[in-house]
Amino acid sequence: MAQLTGRMKGWLEKFGAHIGTATKAGFPTTIVVEQAAIEGDNVVVFDLTAAQAAQIQANMAENPYVALGPHAIASIRAAYQFKGSARLSGNKLKVEIKEIYCTKPGPEAALRLDVLPVEHIVKFEETRWRDSGPPK
Amino acid sequence: MKMNEEMLGALKTIGTGGVVVHLTTCSSDGIPNTVGERFIAAFGEEHIVIADMFAQKTKVNLNENPVGVITVAHPVKGRYWAFRGPCMIIMWGEDENFDFHGARAGEVLKEWGDWAAKEPPSEVPPDIRPPALCQRGVITLKVDEVYSWKPDESGRKIL
Repeated sequence: MAQLTGRMKGWLEKFGAHIGTATKAGFPTTIVVEQAAIEGDNVVVFDLTAAQAAQIQANMAENPYVALGPHAIASIRAAYQFKGSARLSGNKLKVEIKEIYCTKPGPEAALRLDVLPVEHIVKFEETRWRDSGPPK
Repeated sequence: MKMNEEMLGALKTIGTGGVVVHLTTCSSDGIPNTVGERFIAAFGEEHIVIADMFAQKTKVNLNENPVGVITVAHPVKGRYWAFRGPCMIIMWGEDENFDFHGARAGEVLKEWGDWAAKEPPSEVPPDIRPPALCQRGVITLKVDEVYSWKPDESGRKIL
């Protein structure tokens, strides 16, 4: 099971994410939700507007797998990609994270992090970035 | 689809007053991939180009499903744009006369095939600066449509 670190949770909560969705045949639609809530170790919850929910409703019905890229300044500071299975219930989108990747440009781009013990991921973060989360 | 002046003016690297974007591609069976990109520019009025430096899954996806969405991530400043259309990577070695929806491969590579030399990321803080830049090609998206990602009007057609 993928486990989000405190740093990942902090950036996602404060800035939300670009949520990549697609039809089963691979036609993409991306929405942007500017904040999120975290439940437990690996669930990210987004409150969608009615327009956002309507925009991805059909995709979610046929293909619940989504990709998340942190929004705003987090797109620079929090170089992660999260993938997982989503469920749209009303205007609430719950994503169970199953894969976590480093997207830091360089030799570690696309490095899969969720296969590591969480203490190793934290150590990785501490040696790669100066911050431990977004500014207060 | 021609982009407007505001879009053309914003589609450049953040160090030159532009934006960071996310590029979403997906596999042919619909698994999305959404990654941040900082080396971005408009190419003419109908294409957006991104340096292919560290694109791993993006390359695999575009080889089997050549379509993408580019969304403005930072700084937004009212630019709630999502650009969608056919997308491929024009690799070094491509026939210079190859035409991708009106973009000639030789011209794309000549202008944007060595981004690090043209626009080195000198403003990027050390902890997020790429240690080395090796460009394999240019991700090129032909803008077929632009929709708004602004939360309360998400999906509204802009162009």
